[in-house]
Amino acid sequence: MKIITVGVIDYGMGNHASVVHSLREIGFRVRVTKETAELDLVDVLVLPGVGAFPAAMRKLHERGLVTYLQDQARRQRSLIGICLGMQLLASASHEHEYTVGLDLIPGEIVQFANHNVHIGWNTLECTQHDSFLTSIDGQAFYFNHSFYYQGATEYQVAVARHTSTFAVAIQLGSVVGLQFHPEKSQAAGKLLLRNLIMGLAHA
Amino acid sequence: MLKKRLIGVVTVKNGWAVQSFGYHRYLPLGKPVCLVENLDRWGADEILVQVIDRSVAGVGPDYELLDKLALLGLGTPLIYGGGIRTVEDGTRVIQSGADRIAIDSILHEDESMVSDLSGELGAQAIIASIPMEIGPSGAEWVNYKTKGQASIGKGLAEVIVQGFVSEVMVTDWKHEGTPNAFDCDLIDLFPFKEVPLIAFGGISSVEQMRELFARPNITAISVGNFLSYREHAIQIYKEMLASAMLRSSTYATEYSLQANV
Repeated sequence: MKIITVGVIDYGMGNHASVVHSLREIGFRVRVTKETAELDLVDVLVLPGVGAFPAAMRKLHERGLVTYLQDQARRQRSLIGICLGMQLLASASHEHEYTVGLDLIPGEIVQFANHNVHIGWNTLECTQHDSFLTSIDGQAFYFNHSFYYQGATEYQVAVARHTSTFAVAIQLGSVVGLQFHPEKSQAAGKLLLRNLIMGLAHA
Repeated sequence: MLKKRLIGVVTVKNGWAVQSFGYHRYLPLGKPVCLVENLDRWGADEILVQVIDRSVAGVGPDYELLDKLALLGLGTPLIYGGGIRTVEDGTRVIQSGADRIAIDSILHEDESMVSDLSGELGAQAIIASIPMEIGPSGAEWVNYKTKGQASIGKGLAEVIVQGFVSEVMVTDWKHEGTPNAFDCDLIDLFPFKEVPLIAFGGISSVEQMRELFARPNITAISVGNFLSYREHAIQIYKEMLASAMLRSSTYATEYSLQANV
């Protein structure tokens, strides 16, 4: 069987060591690169990231990756955004200043009320039961964020409860966003990555 | 439901993981990387690596150690504390693979910098680490550099109330290393009741953990020394606590994690 190659997009936001390690441990071949010619050759694109939304968009623009990723999504290539990477998939964010995102999944990124933060392990609740998340419904994953996705329920695949109920996994076609860190969620995270990437690669 | 956390702590001094007693007596335990690897395998909810001689020596964060930890490809969130003096230090620590940072000495020296740090990294990435003891005015904040102690001043109060940090780690520094000795008064007398607190220092018994977790403002308990010399100590604590407030202690899966097989 063909080994699946995952392209981790390196655009200067955060350290990719844990993502890369998790993916390799599962058995995927991994390329970490910002070169579009190399990204063209992989089966699934992964957009990780920690930090602030405006800085991340600026770095994607500087590397010519905004139009590239929008183009890849139009061609229905598989793309997974993790944490800040998920937020970048949305139309815009209110973090620091209003910043337009990749606009691959309609919705906006807004701050939790009263400067609340969502840190630690929280359980997922699948809202679409035929999704890639069905096997890990009810399991806990690691979150670390103070902004969240707000958009139509049709794009929401899973939610979590904290001070309110909010989307933690979103999807539109072959583009998927995960607000939590599967690479920092031990066995549950690896199982999710395995099922999700194999599902997208064989779709 | 957001779970409460059991954090495994690795204290590092002179490049070695140490067992610490009241932050004045130390026994070497081994290489920090090995201890962190164990905590990762045992399913700690977070791992805190605190390098206690970096700020005193004024040498900045231990990037060499962070690089070694990054090579482990940890599956557990990592908090790093030690020597963070500037926004650049904090940013580089996160870029080096830490998920969050713990700050201590800059809270005494330059509280205004904390708002800049928060603006750059987000409050969720920052923990205020506060050594405390009970003194004449109640729960007092200890400056481990000068050995002085005082009530929490206006500067730190501002940092906490304005939400520039996401959690405060209250360390019972006197009882650190002494079994079952954490002084719960430090939590009950802590002046900001709405702030999420992490308790650390002398917490070894399941009964005391249960008592602390029952407080709504406790989001996590940190344990250092009492995880040493015992395999799978995190799972054992969790099994004994048997609480729905915590993530389960077993992580076995019936599915193969290998793709393409």
